[in-house]
Amino acid sequence: MRNHDLYYEERHPSPLEQVWIDFKRNPLAMGALYILCFILFLSILGPLIAPYGSNQQFADSISLQPAWSEAGDLRFLLGTDELGRDMLSRLIHGARYTFGLPLLVVCLAAIVGMFIGAAAALTAGVKSSTLKHLLDVLLSIPSLLLALVIVAILGPGLMNALFAIGLALIPQFLHVTRNAVVDELKKDYVVASKLNGVSALYLMVRVVLPNSVKVLVVQLTIGLSAAILDIAALGFLRLGAQPPAPEWGSMLAQSLEVAYNSPWVMALPGLALFITLISVNIVGETLRSALQHRMGR
Amino acid sequence: MSRVILRQLSLLIITLILLSVLSFSLTYGFPGDPVTNSSGISAEHPTYEQVRETRGFDRSIPVQYVRYVQHLARGDWGVSLQDAQPVWEEFRLRFPATLELTFLSMGLALLLGPPLGIIAAMNYKRPIDHAITALSLSGYSIPVFWFAQLSILIFAVVLEWFPIAGQINPLLDVPPVTGAILIDLFYADASIRGVAFQSAIQHLILPVLVLALVPLVLLIRLTRNAMIDVNRKKFMKGAYARGLSTTEVMMTHGIPNAMQPVTRQIGTAFSILMTNTLITEVIFSWPGLGNWLVRSIYERDYPVIQGGLVLLATLILLFNIFISLIHAWRYPQVRQEIYAQS
Repeated sequence: MRNHDLYYEERHPSPLEQVWIDFKRNPLAMGALYILCFILFLSILGPLIAPYGSNQQFADSISLQPAWSEAGDLRFLLGTDELGRDMLSRLIHGARYTFGLPLLVVCLAAIVGMFIGAAAALTAGVKSSTLKHLLDVLLSIPSLLLALVIVAILGPGLMNALFAIGLALIPQFLHVTRNAVVDELKKDYVVASKLNGVSALYLMVRVVLPNSVKVLVVQLTIGLSAAILDIAALGFLRLGAQPPAPEWGSMLAQSLEVAYNSPWVMALPGLALFITLISVNIVGETLRSALQHRMGR
Repeated sequence: MSRVILRQLSLLIITLILLSVLSFSLTYGFPGDPVTNSSGISAEHPTYEQVRETRGFDRSIPVQYVRYVQHLARGDWGVSLQDAQPVWEEFRLRFPATLELTFLSMGLALLLGPPLGIIAAMNYKRPIDHAITALSLSGYSIPVFWFAQLSILIFAVVLEWFPIAGQINPLLDVPPVTGAILIDLFYADASIRGVAFQSAIQHLILPVLVLALVPLVLLIRLTRNAMIDVNRKKFMKGAYARGLSTTEVMMTHGIPNAMQPVTRQIGTAFSILMTNTLITEVIFSWPGLGNWLVRSIYERDYPVIQGGLVLLATLILLFNIFISLIHAWRYPQVRQEIYAQS
């Protein structure tokens, strides 16, 4: 075996690499990450994998129990709902609504929030102070309440709900970016770059952002968890995805009437939601503690 | 301290003004006639012209805004488009019901959360800590509406320990005076008070437990993290070195210091709890604000939505400012930071 460490060389992994090294040490977090990758895979390729269509009805097997119970049928692994639709297919199709779309919305909100936040961090004085107070108002209203008001203006519907959640998330990203950049701007290495005479754009993109990206990644997971919960809550209140769509929250709302006779119709979408949320939260929590651990040193 | 109070008060006033502007802009933001959106009087109504004039819709936008704020302050929040009831009157009966649920859950969370967090931190990386952390992480991830449904199915339908929905057994005649059931009992007939109290408590247990979960696990996490940080501090080591017992160290040095970051976050926990209350009320058919607000969104009842937003945001704001005042009063170092900033 060749020895590569012939010369002593100090390696400096980038901030994101550092976090990743810490992250890999935690088996629970890696498990959660694999689950998220699987759900992401389902939300991209779900319709190709699902055994049946999301609204395909089987008149001969209505409210069938899951396959492992006495009355179950192996054709329908997780049973069917009160309209004879395959639960497994609906859950797979639903991943796109409850995980895929919120993920997209959070990324968009993050990009918009980051731009405005970075711009806000560079300005000072009345404009910046006004923005701060405006943000305080928006942040004091919970994102779901804000989303409810936006849905009230636009009317119920999946697209309106997504739009509302995106808008409600932007202030959080703005706030976090602004604080992170303001903190970073005070540091010596940024002053050194300034003295080197770099342009404001270069300073932002190449100097400050790579070092504040860690905080943003953590905020991304917090935002994703909030967005998934909000879209499901809006779906549950019948203000988001409308009934035939297999969105997990709206599936839960439909299951209210049959929950006593066929509890699995209620349990399964909720369980899917729970597993997704707990994975997102574990990943977020691990990233956060890895970050704190780094900064503590 | 007086500077802190002044600062918070000015912040409160600025925020309330911004909030009223936001709410006023909804008059135009909602589809349809702005006069109807803010007053609930439709164009066919005989008093429409009069309302239009008193609300200043024939004049410029700034005048309309001032009139809007005047109406808000007077308690004239328009009438509901669904049943033509005055919005303010309706809020007066429903808001206490919501507050009752919220404050009971918040109280329960505050009672249990910090002690559990401290226990977890004192057994850092031992089985008790892992159990409490796992509990708090799953409690944090469980969607509140699913949890409410599950608990209704298990405890109300299958086990029949608690009633499924509502505030009190409909057979009992408790006239709604304030809206909060536990206070209404005192206005009810003395002969049924005992039975009614029992019924009200039974109806309260399930929603309060469901709602308390999220702020509870949030407080556990916060307390645990804060306590672990404090345990690493030198003054803790110093206190042990002086020969104080674990209880003494915790009581006089550890817990007061660990509570500092926790106090700051109580406001956040309250905001989350408030949103959850709105959803949970729908599931438990609780005659509160959330139930009504969600129905108003289906029915596009704009005066109610507008009023509900103002009311909820104001409540959350007041609570947050109250918490930050307590925070600044209790912890001098926070005041120091504020002074240093200004």
